[in-house]
Amino acid sequence: MKANRVKMTGLSVALAVGMSVLAGCGGDNNNSNNTAPSNSANPEVNASSEPSASAQEPVKVTFMNMWPKDSTENIATTVRAELAKFQADHPNIIVEEESIGDQNAYYTKLKTLAASNELPDIFISKGSELAMFAKNETVAPLDDLLSADADWKNGFLPSSFNDLSSGGHTYGVPFSMLATSVIYYNKQFFADAGFSSFPQTWAELETAIAKIKENGITPIALGNKEQWVAESCILSALGDRFTGTDWFTSINDKSGAKFTDADFVNSLEAFQSLAKQGAFNKDMNSINNDQQKTLYFNGKAAMFMEGSWAIGSVMAAPKEIADNTEVAVLPSVEGGKGNAMATSGGAGSGYAVGVKGYGEKKDAIAKVLKALSGEGFAKSMAEKGEPVAFTVTDYDKSNVSPLAVKYAELSSQLQFTPIYDSYLNPALVSVMNAGLQDLLINGVTPEALAKKIQAEYEKTN
Amino acid sequence: MNRSTSLKISRLGLIGLLGPSLAIYAFVMIVPLFLSFYYSLTDWMGGPTKTFIGLHNYELLLKDEDFWHSFKNNVIILILTLIVQLGLAFLLTTLFVSKTMRLKELHRTVIFFPVVLSAVVVGFVWQMIYSHDYGVLNAVLKFMGLESAIRPWLDDPKIVIYLVTAPLIWQYLGVPLMIFMSAVQGIPKDIYETCELDGCTGFKKARYITFPLIYDTIKVVMMLSISSNMLVFSHIYVMTGGGPGTSSMVLAQYAYKTSFSSMQLGYGSAVTIGMFILSFGIVILFKRLAEVRNS
Repeated sequence: MKANRVKMTGLSVALAVGMSVLAGCGGDNNNSNNTAPSNSANPEVNASSEPSASAQEPVKVTFMNMWPKDSTENIATTVRAELAKFQADHPNIIVEEESIGDQNAYYTKLKTLAASNELPDIFISKGSELAMFAKNETVAPLDDLLSADADWKNGFLPSSFNDLSSGGHTYGVPFSMLATSVIYYNKQFFADAGFSSFPQTWAELETAIAKIKENGITPIALGNKEQWVAESCILSALGDRFTGTDWFTSINDKSGAKFTDADFVNSLEAFQSLAKQGAFNKDMNSINNDQQKTLYFNGKAAMFMEGSWAIGSVMAAPKEIADNTEVAVLPSVEGGKGNAMATSGGAGSGYAVGVKGYGEKKDAIAKVLKALSGEGFAKSMAEKGEPVAFTVTDYDKSNVSPLAVKYAELSSQLQFTPIYDSYLNPALVSVMNAGLQDLLINGVTPEALAKKIQAEYEKTN
Repeated sequence: MNRSTSLKISRLGLIGLLGPSLAIYAFVMIVPLFLSFYYSLTDWMGGPTKTFIGLHNYELLLKDEDFWHSFKNNVIILILTLIVQLGLAFLLTTLFVSKTMRLKELHRTVIFFPVVLSAVVVGFVWQMIYSHDYGVLNAVLKFMGLESAIRPWLDDPKIVIYLVTAPLIWQYLGVPLMIFMSAVQGIPKDIYETCELDGCTGFKKARYITFPLIYDTIKVVMMLSISSNMLVFSHIYVMTGGGPGTSSMVLAQYAYKTSFSSMQLGYGSAVTIGMFILSFGIVILFKRLAEVRNS
């Protein structure tokens, strides 16, 4: 019996330990959810003891981005090059990079991390997500960090912080000024259809599309499986042509404008009529934006619409395609209130900083951010022909690709209008994005979709 | 110490032995369930603030077209799987027990093989099969001269839900088959022999002997099938992402989307609880139906 009792005690001890481990896990989870507000105060306690330690031990800065390791986009290669340089100069700071190429997967992971206040030290984020993270106090306001180095702060184009600020604070450091809606077209196919330059009016565009289709070529390659392409790269610009920017400002400020306003409905109708006309490839909802470029690169499509970030990939396309490619923006529409020499664009995304690591590693994070956005970075981006958010005047223009020169010429005349998904609430964007898929296959009328978006807009008000 | 006490486990010992696994179960299943019920009563958006809003989320849920649409899709998938997959599995089982079947081992391995593949891989493979320009399906149709049937398969909202069900049926066909076969092997051979003497063959053997004798196993398999089909996610997420629009959206993806794309964690939890209630309801309903049939 005694032996039995000893066993029992052993068991109950083991059980107690097991339970406490489990309980510990549960406790941790709760903490990370609930201590978000007090967290911003916490690190300061640690900060005092940190600097001395960081002198010997390397500081690890995590950096999450959406540029796959093998990406040929200029931004990705430049960031990687600057990072390598930075690592060589600062052996004390180790930047741990995590890349997720798929944009949806990237934002899903980001939001999941945000829900448990585990955001990386530095990460890329769109303005709309940043505003939400800021509301939830999971990202650090960067006002102090920027003001601490006036040269750095004042180097940025003044408008470049617009997309990345909310509630009077700046939460992101811009790294580029991009247009999300640029038309890349093959001038050969347009010439075959009898157009020596890109159509200047909507009616002309429709005629061109019909003729290109007769020639057996898909007029517009669209890969909208991930749902953001139709909205971010087409509707943001098309909508503005019809409604004008004031309408969007009013939507964003919640001061009266509605998605059911005739102008916005008209833009949806124009978009749907393109689809009805057969302007897009039939499998637009089951391929993604990389595959839409593949269609274009294989000479099966006459144009595709994506942001200015695609310039790099177009230059890496087969030569006869790359040489024939020109850039344009959507033509003016009849009765539209928007400026025809405009397209959706802005800083769009920026580097943001998770609140968790900010207190302890503020200095290291600041250094990395400067290396990835400051003059050196901007210069090397500019030399590749990428539009940058940082003012650089004196750089070597010889290596800029011809397409980038064309784009620079175009964009110098352009006015940037808001990118829908940089401003609107994610729940609303997700309704709009899914609805556009339906719209393009005639699954819903423009009026019904507008009503649905408006209903969601009122719900999230 | 005599033998009887060493074999008998005291009440305390029993609790001690069960404790750890019960604790783990409680922490990974029961506690999250209650937590998510609690979240579903708030308007949590992922931040530090959660306001208690009572049953408001459930009111919205009842009127949420997307939710019911997703549920309808789940039911379509469920019915198709029950009929086609279990039907096929039963048919194959009777083939496997018949003497005419050759290379039984090979067939069994080939049919079971997809079960061990990752759902994501299967999703990608089938996406390629359905691809408009490069897909095997369209290539086969072209080869057979059925060019009029060629279409961008996953882009047609009317048929997409049936198309995404096909890989589910195909991949998991091996599971019911294995369970049926082991059940059939438990049927004494002499029953078959007796009935053969009475002149019973083929279909009749399956109908009057195999089916009633493995009926209980079939019931279990159907339960498993219902519970796993209410949770389908990966295949469809990979193939269509719920599109076009929401035409191939299922409950699990809807819950995921509201929770993590739209960051409405409170409402997303309500969707999850709604999903739990519906699945539980179906299982109970089915159990009732199956029992009536048994008596």
